[in-house]
Amino acid sequence: MKTDVILKAINLNKYFGQGAAVVRAVENVSLEIKHGEMVLIMGPSGSGKTTLLSMLGALLSPTSGEIIIDDTDISAMKERALAALRARKIGFVFQSFNLLEALTVEENILFPARLSIEGTQGARGRLDELLGRLGLIARRKALPNTLSGGEKQRVAIARALINQPPIILADEPTGNLDSHKGQEVMMILHDIARDEGCAVLMVTHDPRVEEIADRVLWLEDGALRDRKSEQHSWVTDPVCGMRVDEWTASVTTEYNDKKFVFCSARCLSRFNAQPEHYIDETKYRIPD
Amino acid sequence: MLYWSLKTLFAEPARLMVSALAVAVSFILVIFFSAVFEGESEQMVVYLEEMEADVWVMQKGVANMHMTSSMVWDWKVDKIAQLPDVREVSAILYFNGPVKVGGKNWFSYVIGISPEYRRAGPWDLAQGKAMPGPGETVIPEVVSQLTGVQIGDEITLIDRPLMVVGLSKETFSMSSSVVFVSREDLGDLLEGSDQYSYIMVYAEPGVNAKALAERIKQEIDKVNALTSEAFIASDRQLAVQMGAEIVRMMTIIGTLLATLIVAFTAYSLIARKKQELAIAKALGFGNGQIYLAALSQSVVVTVLGLLFALLISFTLLAWLPTVVPQINLAVRLHQFTFIAMVTLPVAMLASLSAARTVARLDPMTVFHQ
Repeated sequence: MKTDVILKAINLNKYFGQGAAVVRAVENVSLEIKHGEMVLIMGPSGSGKTTLLSMLGALLSPTSGEIIIDDTDISAMKERALAALRARKIGFVFQSFNLLEALTVEENILFPARLSIEGTQGARGRLDELLGRLGLIARRKALPNTLSGGEKQRVAIARALINQPPIILADEPTGNLDSHKGQEVMMILHDIARDEGCAVLMVTHDPRVEEIADRVLWLEDGALRDRKSEQHSWVTDPVCGMRVDEWTASVTTEYNDKKFVFCSARCLSRFNAQPEHYIDETKYRIPD
Repeated sequence: MLYWSLKTLFAEPARLMVSALAVAVSFILVIFFSAVFEGESEQMVVYLEEMEADVWVMQKGVANMHMTSSMVWDWKVDKIAQLPDVREVSAILYFNGPVKVGGKNWFSYVIGISPEYRRAGPWDLAQGKAMPGPGETVIPEVVSQLTGVQIGDEITLIDRPLMVVGLSKETFSMSSSVVFVSREDLGDLLEGSDQYSYIMVYAEPGVNAKALAERIKQEIDKVNALTSEAFIASDRQLAVQMGAEIVRMMTIIGTLLATLIVAFTAYSLIARKKQELAIAKALGFGNGQIYLAALSQSVVVTVLGLLFALLISFTLLAWLPTVVPQINLAVRLHQFTFIAMVTLPVAMLASLSAARTVARLDPMTVFHQ
């Protein structure tokens, strides 16, 4: 019987190396994602987010555990079957856009359509629809190197959607975009989940996305836990002004017996260079 | 994937040209070595071929002309001429050694010819007369160009000065040119005025040359007789063993070098696009399609390189002899077939080995640049 769950991971483990040098990148992770759900995976750098996403995207085999996509256990599938599964069931959105440089916008979007049952010609209608929806009609013949970062990411999203996959996996999709473009991309992904019933699973460091996500999963030391219900302690990064959760922040410092929290090491180094310039406690402290 | 593969290749025409030209240069190197090898090999037997005899008769135990001496009594020429199935005979006295032209020794086939056997003389004359009389000689036109020695000037054969009366075409070779003198002079120098070295036999139409050669061996005492085909093959083999072996070695080295360049070009072409191939794999393209994309790029570059090589080689090889007349070049289609047969599989293997790394994809390469 068909369930509402499109993606399921059961006791997933991924170890690299052997013996004393073994690295437990993902440990005993179980999760379920339903159609139309937008789920974030957050966590500090090196916590295993990308490894988990690679396994869920059928690009990396788990050491143990099961991955079930659309009621099919993919754990024992051969490479050829996994490739076909990726083409039809999963759309990828990458931080670095990963467009094919020699192909135009529409060729990039249609690229995976060659693998669908309807083929490139059959996907033309869908292409026009996506170009319109993502504001890319005027850029359809442009090459990637002439596009802005936001446009590139919209092309990447359109490419991920061309075969109408039930799952979108996004790895830091706003990582290379400014805050305005990042917000725009987030809303597009949110709308996709809502309108197309796609399950969107996103790895991100951007705390602003939490507000539009249905669930936030926190991955640390290879283990996963649900964090949406947990209490936040919102503070503002004194350098860039970004809202940061003090509870999860890993980049912090103390100055004049006060704790300051940063979104990144870059902001911390700028702060350390001129702390007096950035200190204004009343301005940056945000009540819970 | 094939569309992506070709579009990617042609999206950077300058890079494609550089890759194809790198491949072409390596091919041209091989073609040049090979052309020198072929040219010299052919030139070494050009006299034998141009005489168009059916059977060559020589001293018993001799089977070559290159680096060989042969002596046959002159009465045997008449005896052979009287044999059934023999239409015509021609005979030469021959000496293989240096001729001093313009102060430099030129290793030559010195052919002593008599007026009664005019057929044995130069077949293509550039200037002057074809039949040297006593005290006269016909030298290759190329030797004249290289030394400045003209008709009316003198050259030295052993210790005898001879006046140049003719310049012949197609008789120059780096290892042995063909110089014509009178049989009288050469006979005098070799103390063999009543002898010839080689007798060319022309058979009646329809006569089997091999059978005729056998009959001559049976009926004429102490001679060897070979069909023209066997004699030329034997001489070519000896020539190849002696001098052209070095050129052959250079050709092999050139081919290996070309193979390396083709392999490197094919590998770097694919390795540079590894990230995009990895993206394609993440999007659902299978290993078969990845390999096909890699292969198609290598094949296009190699074939393009081969076409460039063909174009440049034929232009260069047609022009080169006018600038460097001492080089004998011969280009044959089988040389290109050989190069294509050696380098195409190597290019394919190289691109496959690059694509293999994509097939064994580390997913992190897709997620991070």
